[in-house]
Amino acid sequence: MSATVVRYLPYIVVVNFLLVATLLVVLGRLATARPLKELPDGRQNAAEAVLDWFVAQARSIHPESVTLIAPFLATLFLLILFSNLLAILPVPILNIPPTSYYSGPLALAVIAVVGVIVICAKMRGGRAAVKHIFWPNPLQLVAEASHTLSLSLRLYGNIAGELLVASLATQAAPYGIPLIIYTLGLIPASVQPIVFTLLTVNFLATAVPAQGQPRGHPGGPIARAP
Amino acid sequence: MKEILLIFIPALTLVPTAVAAALAMRKISSTALDGMTRQPEIAAQLFTSMLVSLALVEALVIYSLVVALMLAAKV
Repeated sequence: MSATVVRYLPYIVVVNFLLVATLLVVLGRLATARPLKELPDGRQNAAEAVLDWFVAQARSIHPESVTLIAPFLATLFLLILFSNLLAILPVPILNIPPTSYYSGPLALAVIAVVGVIVICAKMRGGRAAVKHIFWPNPLQLVAEASHTLSLSLRLYGNIAGELLVASLATQAAPYGIPLIIYTLGLIPASVQPIVFTLLTVNFLATAVPAQGQPRGHPGGPIARAP
Repeated sequence: MKEILLIFIPALTLVPTAVAAALAMRKISSTALDGMTRQPEIAAQLFTSMLVSLALVEALVIYSLVVALMLAAKV
């Protein structure tokens, strides 16, 4: 990257995030432009296919709060996925994924962790949310901070690492090899949003226990490891 | 000589973690695939659990990478 690009990188990250967000809003509007039908077809079918997985995850956490949890998970997933996929665009400035600069993943991780607490407060009340942060001891606060760090570092490390390898390969062998590296880069770019969302689901499942189940044992497909 | 050794220190922090994580990931993936072939009906659930487990192991390597990068910047 040239010195000018490095200098303006924080602004580029924000602009790229905004572009991705705008694109997602436009896609969302397009998918729901026509009146929704009971038997979906076309765009509505595609949108429902995307949302299906999030609805299933939300249902496994708390079946009555699907409308609260599923949009949160879907927003995080789609924003990260489309941000990562910016790397394959053949446009110079636009192809810097916002998730390859540490501020981007950190912001997403803070949103995820704070969002979990806000959803907990909405579903179980403010006292329960405070109890979730400080129970069984105030050191739980450190755990919340470490969740933020681990979520953000994982995403940042994968995407920035992939980009670094691609740029090194481009310097070493400009033709052919970078194509392979970029193609392989699609794997972490599509797996990392899943991992980020699944870990958020895990945090949510411990913060909001399913009805009739003890705290910390959410049941469903992603039970927390003992 | 000292300069050459200093260059190797960041690499030496990363390599053992990467080796250990590779071994752990091998165990996780092979066990999950074993389970998937034995019980294909729960393959999707096993796949998501496998991804989470792999991500938790991978995080350790990334912490090590961050430490290595910080050391490299100091050296």
